[in-house]
Amino acid sequence: MPLLEYLANGLIFSSIIVLGSIGLSLVYSIADFANFAHGDTMTIGAYTALITFGAVGSLGGAVLGLPFGFFVALLAGIAVAALVAVVTERVVYKPMDVSSIGMLITSIGIAFIYRAILQLRFGADFTRYDVQTLRPIEWLIPYGIRITEHDVAIVLSAAVLVTGLHVLLQYTDLGRKMRAMADNPELARVSGIRTARVKLWTWVIGAGLAGAGGVFLGLYNQLSPRMGFSLLLLIFAAVILGGIGSVYGAMLGGFLIGMIHELMPVLGEIGTLIPFVEYIPFITEDFAIPIGIQYAEAVVFVIMVAVLLVRPNGIMGEAT
Amino acid sequence: MSWLANPTDEFADMTRAEQGVTLFIVGFALFLVFGLLTGALNPSYFLFLIGLGSMYALLSLGLNSQWGFTGLINFSVAAFFGVGAYGTVLISASSSPIRQSLLDIGVPSVVLNPVVGLVIAIVVATVIALAIGIPTLRLRADYLAIASLGLAEVVRLIVLNQQNWTNGSAGVRGIPSFFAGWPVLATFPQSMPETVIDFVPGGSITIAEPVFGIGFTFGQEIVLGTPFWRALLNVALVFVFLGISYTALRRVHRSPWGRVLRTIRADEDLARALGKNTYSFKMQSFVLGSLVMALAGVFYAHLNLYVSPGDLDPITTFYVWVAVILGGSGSNRGALFGGFVVVAIREGTRFLNQVTLSFDLGATEVVLSLTGFGGPMRLLLIGVIIVILMRFRPEGLLPPQRELIWPGTVDEVPEGPDVGVREARGGADE
Repeated sequence: MPLLEYLANGLIFSSIIVLGSIGLSLVYSIADFANFAHGDTMTIGAYTALITFGAVGSLGGAVLGLPFGFFVALLAGIAVAALVAVVTERVVYKPMDVSSIGMLITSIGIAFIYRAILQLRFGADFTRYDVQTLRPIEWLIPYGIRITEHDVAIVLSAAVLVTGLHVLLQYTDLGRKMRAMADNPELARVSGIRTARVKLWTWVIGAGLAGAGGVFLGLYNQLSPRMGFSLLLLIFAAVILGGIGSVYGAMLGGFLIGMIHELMPVLGEIGTLIPFVEYIPFITEDFAIPIGIQYAEAVVFVIMVAVLLVRPNGIMGEAT
Repeated sequence: MSWLANPTDEFADMTRAEQGVTLFIVGFALFLVFGLLTGALNPSYFLFLIGLGSMYALLSLGLNSQWGFTGLINFSVAAFFGVGAYGTVLISASSSPIRQSLLDIGVPSVVLNPVVGLVIAIVVATVIALAIGIPTLRLRADYLAIASLGLAEVVRLIVLNQQNWTNGSAGVRGIPSFFAGWPVLATFPQSMPETVIDFVPGGSITIAEPVFGIGFTFGQEIVLGTPFWRALLNVALVFVFLGISYTALRRVHRSPWGRVLRTIRADEDLARALGKNTYSFKMQSFVLGSLVMALAGVFYAHLNLYVSPGDLDPITTFYVWVAVILGGSGSNRGALFGGFVVVAIREGTRFLNQVTLSFDLGATEVVLSLTGFGGPMRLLLIGVIIVILMRFRPEGLLPPQRELIWPGTVDEVPEGPDVGVREARGGADE
């Protein structure tokens, strides 16, 4: 049954989108602008991992088909993405005195600078990590699911990171302050929270998760200087769907957008997937919605606009 | 005409920024003329650059009438540009599937010419502007940015994937000249005689030895053949487009209609409180700007003679944004200036790909080739310009201080960029 395969792919792609959308949502709520450089922050993470992995090598053992060295590279990707974002914030965003639209436009410039530097060093071509290409996991094939151990590693690592963020937000002092600031920055500041420090940590966490998302995106597909920017609109769709400013909304939105994106082939064979189709009037086995999978992104963008119109604050956002 | 009578006073009347921009333009023009005279710059290519610059200026004018006048943050410039380009080529180009099927059902080929394509491009651009505008113009500014970028991507994906209409990723070739089928202009480039301009008869003067393969020799023969006349015709066409758009937009900017738009940009609630239907005004501004962008697309198709889905890439949108912000949001002449600067960046970095530096270090010779550096350098330059502008001069180089009201009503010229017309008249409202 191909539906299981699509669901599995959706889960993997969702993991990557979720990692990207959390950071975008955090920055949107605390720094108060739509950060168009977020996608390219993911790309920075991916290329840092590429360099690091090339330098440290595989380092002996392996988990889920990934050598230990790759996890070192993952950490390096997270660290460098966070560092670059913090430096950018200090040097560029912080001294700025413009509206949130001005910040948005600035972040487009930052995105170009990131991408141009990566292109100068690595060229515009596709490349991939030097990890062994795996065969799909044997015992899942009878169920029609063809995923590799790497895919499992992506989902598990994303789950660990997201759980870690949840613990941080709910059970630590910093998390409480971040939530307070996301709710109402002014109130947080007059209550004695050092908002500058919380803001800094927000950038670190958001960009770090984006870096991890970029590393996994490189593992899932390939690396190219455009990889993050191409994903950016899907991430925006996820953040808007979930509700800007809500971390848990971003997780939900990322999950839904990833699933919708990967479930697009279902539209073409929807008749065969509905159980007891012969009892439903007007619908037969060859019923299908004629939208090809090449329009997956288009469908997501249309959904995004529809959400903006009907519920501008998203599923988990406050109703207006 | 006071420029001819008294250029010194006219120059002194300008703001510092205007003086700087003027000097830059004069310097750059001299540089280009020098290139022309020394043969480093081919005259046809020079005209191509003028055409491309005017095209970007047209796009910036379109965006300026949305963002500069009304404050609509539209990130779907590339989509309207593409609609204009594809609108005309799908009707007139020999490799267009739509033209072929129209011919098959018996439409005479005389009807399928670029002017009909222009009309269709305008109609389609209006429809798409309404289709994008109706849902998105109610949104908050930053949501409008994201939504319009998303919908522009939808347009690009349709152009890329509907091969039966657009030829898909292969693009459309076989585009005729815009004047195909016109009485005189259709054969103008072929019928013009080949002209040879020779400043130094029978020879040339070498100014400098060749550097990077380009020698500076003055007085080489400059041959003006068919490509030159074709390019000249193109430039004439885009100047007509640009002239009409510039005059119309300057006029509407100063009209009561333009004043409502500026009120909406400054404070939409205020405009609504004054009884204006802001949604309708925003829609009019959006459609107007989109039509100008489509016009630029129509011209581009006949300039470049090849159109592909790559032209609808979001980067085109951002080029135009740079042009508008650089020139100064709301300023029509700023948009003109910005358009030409963007082309200078775009085409200037193209030369980096051809540069090969070789250093002779005694025993070994180091060859440094910059092939492949043009693209990233262009991106880097655009990014750095955006960041520096927004950081240090968010109002742009030529802010629209004198364009907000009829020039005749101003008592005296403001002294500097900080002192706008309204402040000079005691009406500082921002």
